[in-house]
Amino acid sequence: MNKDVSLMAHLMRRAGFGATRNELEGYLEDGYEATVDNLLDPGESGHMPDDIIRRYHVDQSELRQLDGAGAYWLYRMLTTSNPLEEKLALFWHGLFATGYAKLNQARALLNQIEMFRHYGFGSFRDLLVELSRDPAMILWLDNNENHKEAINENYGRELLELFSMGIGNYSEDDIKECAKAFTGWTLGNAEYMSVRASKDSIWPYGRIAWHYEYRADDHDGGEKKFLGKVGNFNGEDIVDIIVTQEATARFLSTRLFQYFASDEVDSDGELVISGMMEAYFQSGYKVSAVLRSLFNSDYFKSDKCMYSRVKGPVESVVGTVRLAGTYQEPTLDVHSLWAQTMFMGQGLLAPPTVEGWHEGVEWIDSGSLVERINFAAKELSDPTKDGVKDIIRRVTSNQKDLSDPEKLVDSCLDYMGPIQVQPDTREGLIEFAESQGAVQIQNGQPDENASIQVARLIGMIASTREYQLA
Amino acid sequence: MVNTNTLSIRYLKTIGIVNNGFNGRGFANPYDVAFGPDGEIFVLNRCDPARRSAIRVGVCNLDEEYLYEFGYGFGDGDGQMTLPVAMAFDAEGRLLITDEHTSRVNIYSNKGDVVSKWGVKGDSEGEFNGPAGIAVDSAGLVYVCDQRNHRIQKYTSEGKFLSQWGVRGSEPGEFNLPWGIGVDISDNVYVADWRNDRVQKFDSSGQYLETIGGSGEGSLNRPSGVSVDRNGNIYVTDWGNERLQVFDSNGKAISSMRGEATLSDWAKDFFESNQDEMETREISNLNPDIPDHLNTPYHISSQTESYFWGPVSVRIDSNNRLYVVESNRHRIQIYEIE
Repeated sequence: MNKDVSLMAHLMRRAGFGATRNELEGYLEDGYEATVDNLLDPGESGHMPDDIIRRYHVDQSELRQLDGAGAYWLYRMLTTSNPLEEKLALFWHGLFATGYAKLNQARALLNQIEMFRHYGFGSFRDLLVELSRDPAMILWLDNNENHKEAINENYGRELLELFSMGIGNYSEDDIKECAKAFTGWTLGNAEYMSVRASKDSIWPYGRIAWHYEYRADDHDGGEKKFLGKVGNFNGEDIVDIIVTQEATARFLSTRLFQYFASDEVDSDGELVISGMMEAYFQSGYKVSAVLRSLFNSDYFKSDKCMYSRVKGPVESVVGTVRLAGTYQEPTLDVHSLWAQTMFMGQGLLAPPTVEGWHEGVEWIDSGSLVERINFAAKELSDPTKDGVKDIIRRVTSNQKDLSDPEKLVDSCLDYMGPIQVQPDTREGLIEFAESQGAVQIQNGQPDENASIQVARLIGMIASTREYQLA
Repeated sequence: MVNTNTLSIRYLKTIGIVNNGFNGRGFANPYDVAFGPDGEIFVLNRCDPARRSAIRVGVCNLDEEYLYEFGYGFGDGDGQMTLPVAMAFDAEGRLLITDEHTSRVNIYSNKGDVVSKWGVKGDSEGEFNGPAGIAVDSAGLVYVCDQRNHRIQKYTSEGKFLSQWGVRGSEPGEFNLPWGIGVDISDNVYVADWRNDRVQKFDSSGQYLETIGGSGEGSLNRPSGVSVDRNGNIYVTDWGNERLQVFDSNGKAISSMRGEATLSDWAKDFFESNQDEMETREISNLNPDIPDHLNTPYHISSQTESYFWGPVSVRIDSNNRLYVVESNRHRIQIYEIE
């Protein structure tokens, strides 16, 4: 197996949703480090245009409901030319988990995702300030109830505990002072919007999107003591202090490491995280610098790192559909893809709590595993799909004879990833290939039956344990 | 309210309320209107995926009485619809509805009985790939925007193919995913050439005459619908700009409107029984400033309830009233033209 191809495929499984062989060939022309740079600073991304989506899907134009909003984001993931932009937005969505259940406002969630795209690679300071102004976050963590005369600590607490520093690095008093600094950070027409959200009201004319509003008369402008510093702090001042903390650098670097490199952090991983923390401070808190440090580390490129993560459900669905080459144009049943993410345990835009999803091996239980396997096998065993056709073409082209099942299995594994499988998995696939009989090639072309046979083998590979690993 | 030397457009009222159910008063992503002989307003509900089994036409009047509705479910069976786009009455008073998914035109009586259908998917004469706008001229001939074949097709009211014009492109007489279509009193044909950001005018045989709104003042962004009044003024739902753009008969931009919806009677009924929402609404600013990163017509309309949002069709009734159909707000804003 070509090591360069294998390494690039690994990068794209982590920094994206996997890649087709055509895409990999393009990335390989640029080389590894240049690809990392392009992923981190891609310029304007190409994706299915909004006007095309909105004309076809009324629900994705109005974005009143969760399934339409989820499907809209899936289109972006399925067709983007910069998969890291969406993958990182998905990371922020898991870290700053904001859910539909309390908000009843799908558009506000998508606007938050757009904010992640806009600020997600830049300064962590700017991102935390925008997060604090985000209307969906404000309502999700009750900052609209955080008043000068009666504070609500919810946002202040989670900002420190779940979004930036982690528990054990601040006191209960710090939480109170933080909350005071964010008084007056609310959403426009807060009273009307709160009533509508609480009743899930769409009347009379659908939803009205939300916007941030600062109410100076409801802000506590008094002196505050926060993490040892004293001043008449407002919210931005609090964020300025948070981002200088070593705990923040460690928290962010560790979470990025776990999402992009490995679920478990061992001593080698600790060294990588130290490098990421250094990049954080040297760059002025830039997320792109932290990620560059990770992707270019020897650890990330090592065999130890490869296949050490369980794909999340959204990664799994998007990666499979991108490989199959479907949904590249508006498609009637696209909202059912969103439902698939729900069945597999990661309903997009609907995280269970503010803590997000429990990742790693916890993605897998017997029910969700069956959903995953059925979905991937169905998508990829259909020889009429463009992506499957391309794999079949590559496997069969210039072949006089594909009667050797070992060669056939290895070739399919190569062009589907490459995907590395354990010896016993490979044995099982060879047995399956044998049971189908020899694949006949005539004049360098597979006949219809041969295409079906290869597609079935592709579907079988999509059913393996290894296919669920990134 | 718009006033020029020759034209006055006065806001009259709003009809509609979002219908979150499967039948009854209200609209579900309305896509077009047509006018019956006795003051009926027929409203085509495209419906979102959750409500698609109740895809239907609702019928009301200007006094906001909800009269009746008809539909035969989601699908491609007789009378069923999948992704309906537009409708028009033919010379015999039958209602023609295009469906961009099944690539056919469904025909109903004005009481909703299934009469017949025509069209199959394809790119030959008489076949469609995503039929969208539909209009009927004074001779009863039918024009259909054949969206993904990037052409206009002309038929008899029985669905017999007569002629076609246009190919994919951006030169005069070419199209890119055309959407709405209208005819004037001289049977000239106006096409909302959606992805070319212009309206094109043709004579009834398809001879290209001029381009409207292609550049300069009043330039269009993804126009969805077009209608022409008896004086030749041209009204375009400028979908990408979330506005109604008005041109005079020479194609000169004379007015641009963002919408001024008020509460319909159905909306007032809702607030009667939901006082908590009314009270908090009354202290709200429903015309807010929008953050820079969301400062587009689409996002502004999503936050400004009185503005057009998703204006997909504009039609004029026999009393010179103008109807702007808003898919995302589930309502119709009505204006009087003088």
